[in-house]
Amino acid sequence: MNELHELARTLLTDGTVRVIIGWEDARRGARPAFITDPADTDKLIFDTRCVHNLVTYLNPRRDNVAELGKIGLVVKGCDAKAVAGLLREAQLNRDDIVLIGVRCGGVLEESELAEAVALSAENVAPRCFGCDNREPKLVDHLLGEAQPEPPRPIMTIDERVEALEARPLEERWAFWTEQFSKCVRCYACRQVCPLCVCERCVAEKTRPQWIDSSAHPRGNMSWNITRALHLAGRCVDCGECERFCPVGIPLSLVNRKLQQIVSERYGYTVSDDPENAAPIGDYRLDDKQEFIK
Amino acid sequence: MSRIGVFVCHCGENIARTVDCEAVAEALREHPGVAVAEDYKYMCSDPGQALVKKAIEDNNLTGVVIAACSPHMHEKTFRRACDQAGLNQFMCEMANVREHCSWIHDDRGQATDKAIDITRTIVEKVKHNRPLESIHIPVTKRALVIGGGIAGIQAALDIADGGHEVVLIEKEASIGGHMSQLSETFPTLDCSQCILTPRMVEAYQHPNIKLHTWSEVEKVDGYIGNFEVTIRKKARSVNEDLCNGCGDCQAACPAKRIPSEFEAGLGKRTAIYVPFPQAVPNIPVLDRVNCTLFKGRRKGLAKDVCGKCKEACLKAAIDFDTEDTFVTEAVGAIVVATGFKLYDIGRDQPEGLKGYGEYGYGEVPDVIDGLQFERLASASGPTEGAILRPSDGKEPKTVVFVHCVGSRDPEKGISYCSKICCMYNAKHAMLYKHKVHDGRAIAFYMDIRAGGKGYDEFSRRAIEEDGAEYVRGRVSRIFRDGDVVKVWGYDTLSGEQVVIDADMVVLATAMRPQDGIRELAQKLSVSTDEHGFINEAHPKLRPVETNTAGVFVAGACQAPRDIPEAVAMASATGAKVLGLFSADELEREPAVAVVDENTCIGCMRCELVCPYGAIEQREICTVDGHVCGHVAYVNPGVCQGCGTCQAVCLSKSVELQTFTDEQIFSEINALCYWE
Repeated sequence: MNELHELARTLLTDGTVRVIIGWEDARRGARPAFITDPADTDKLIFDTRCVHNLVTYLNPRRDNVAELGKIGLVVKGCDAKAVAGLLREAQLNRDDIVLIGVRCGGVLEESELAEAVALSAENVAPRCFGCDNREPKLVDHLLGEAQPEPPRPIMTIDERVEALEARPLEERWAFWTEQFSKCVRCYACRQVCPLCVCERCVAEKTRPQWIDSSAHPRGNMSWNITRALHLAGRCVDCGECERFCPVGIPLSLVNRKLQQIVSERYGYTVSDDPENAAPIGDYRLDDKQEFIK
Repeated sequence: MSRIGVFVCHCGENIARTVDCEAVAEALREHPGVAVAEDYKYMCSDPGQALVKKAIEDNNLTGVVIAACSPHMHEKTFRRACDQAGLNQFMCEMANVREHCSWIHDDRGQATDKAIDITRTIVEKVKHNRPLESIHIPVTKRALVIGGGIAGIQAALDIADGGHEVVLIEKEASIGGHMSQLSETFPTLDCSQCILTPRMVEAYQHPNIKLHTWSEVEKVDGYIGNFEVTIRKKARSVNEDLCNGCGDCQAACPAKRIPSEFEAGLGKRTAIYVPFPQAVPNIPVLDRVNCTLFKGRRKGLAKDVCGKCKEACLKAAIDFDTEDTFVTEAVGAIVVATGFKLYDIGRDQPEGLKGYGEYGYGEVPDVIDGLQFERLASASGPTEGAILRPSDGKEPKTVVFVHCVGSRDPEKGISYCSKICCMYNAKHAMLYKHKVHDGRAIAFYMDIRAGGKGYDEFSRRAIEEDGAEYVRGRVSRIFRDGDVVKVWGYDTLSGEQVVIDADMVVLATAMRPQDGIRELAQKLSVSTDEHGFINEAHPKLRPVETNTAGVFVAGACQAPRDIPEAVAMASATGAKVLGLFSADELEREPAVAVVDENTCIGCMRCELVCPYGAIEQREICTVDGHVCGHVAYVNPGVCQGCGTCQAVCLSKSVELQTFTDEQIFSEINALCYWE
């Protein structure tokens, strides 16, 4: 931890960055911290409660964060993928940020704990199992010691997707109709997503209004499908949308299914290499095109 | 409030047979926003157009919907009529009730209902049409011709004679292409070089033609009227300005045993060489792959082991250290005339093709292809025109000609007919018989395809006057048997197997597009067919245009072509280019995408997917000139209105002016509301 404090202090003192965005300990567990004073760097923590994807603060929609000045950002592997996503889509200049990577052994499903606890099958965030980027590569500094693999959750996301897919079409439709009917259209999933970067979301377009804006099952279905499709080949699986959803829609299942489709059809996995072009803009002769009859 | 006129065309019986046009007009008359709805027998006729114009004037219409044929047919006609009646022409749209309805349905009731639906959707669309203006873009009145064969030379000459500058580029050391290798040409048997070389010289000396040989297209930017082409001038090692073409370097070169490409491998050349005596320009190139000096350098030898050519050159024109250079040319139009290559029939096959290993090409020296026979028959060839077989230099007394080697054989990968082989085989048989009076010329053919002026007479002459023996059937195997070449075939007319002891076999191999055509097509954003031939924009009505505006196609890179066709196509491209250059500005339909800078976030995925390279990033500034972000910008000169950007834009910030989101939404709604 001293390593992180010292680096943050140096970066702030020598003026490399104006603010360090990381995590700190607070009354209700770990929370995002904005450190501008070198004396405060000791507040920074990194443990299993640091579930938040802080890259959402780099999102150009949050120009109040950018106004703080050059940012030093602490990132886990999944967060680094989101940074790569922003770079890939020209939403960020790499030179405008300093990335402090932390080696990660998985995080908890829940951040609001007084103290960090060890991960177990019961408390681990299911998405951490099988993570391919526990040591972010895109970073300027990589801190911490090598971490063990995250434990296997009671039921992995892949297993849940598989279980759902094993059910007949009508049941699946009924399942998702019910899930999406809970949606209150608060758009928390969109606001917290580091890659939902549009200034004017398609959900708010009125001429024409493609998506019914009231919290009605029809509009809810349109919204949730649109959100998922807009993240196909982009979603970094940080799990923030599901964590923030106030009504508990299992968005990670939707996200994972899309990842599987993108991987199967285009051989593409989201990584933290910004040069790795996303399938939407990368035409290859061997792209599957059996939809052309 | 919209005041839309709906005009339903019977198209004689074409539409009226299955669609009740009166009922369509009647239904639309009740549609909200429709001021007038009429039907008429031929809306595109003068009285039909007059009806539209009168309705516009009488009812002060704000939009017009013509329920008739495809917009490809008559959209221009009706837009012009609207323009004449004082209505912005882009307020007029076609509802296609012919190709999309009457022609494909039998049930009159259902077809009528569908025609009403189609027309309603377009009425709803037109309600959201905005008056648009045509786009004007400037034209650079210079043309680029890629390929210096007969097609390229002809295109360049026609454009240059029309008074415009032409940049002609050729990847080989000399222009002339395949035609320069031919001995005589069908159906007149005039000497190929004799008719070609004057054109080559004319192109070289033409004040409007700038020639780059030993050069290739590296990159193409821009769009119709405004292309910027980067040309790679491959390192020639010979200074074109200093060289006087004396040939001393060739005489001095010790590497004299390199198979000559021009002689189709039957003759030899040196490492520094001019491909043939009449080459244009008469300036050698140094073949670095086979040069002794460069071989030494590749081995890493400290000292250069040769340099005799440089010593021999009195003009000090040779420089071993030149590298590829790049020149950029601004042009307004591009003609692609890269020609063909013969199907390589050996065992080592290009992807997707299966070879004719059983024909022994490349293994039996006396099995040659058509181009090699041309060189044998040519007075300037390796045998000075004597027909002598490659293995022992003897005069062959029995020559077998095999048609359709590769061509018309979908099993082996080439389904098309190469078109010229029937004719050149007849020519070969004739040339052979003219030179070897006691010889036998036996041709195995599938069908004789001799369509063309004087062509059938020519092939009949080969049989009837010159005594070529034609056997209808295929050859199964060709192999060496002692001194003879055994040909196993089958005569399908007599139903008998045929075995011939030949002295030489000539294979009429298929015509394929040149190597690298797909890469070139990609640079030019033009499409190729499954075989690699460049696709024309329309097989009948736009045969020399491509699907990229300003890029034209001539000769055998589009499909197998003979010389008259290649020349005719080339002159057609000349006419197209000169037509393009006749005005200072181009007028284009405003069917282009436009970015909403207020909502665009500049993620540039539209740029990634744009097949025409029409989208670029542009900075946006605040009122006081401070850069505050970047957005996508669509260049209206390049945009072809395909709408791919519209489909991938997450924030729905880009749309085609002629197919806005709102228009499409309204069309869908129209189908949902009125059932």
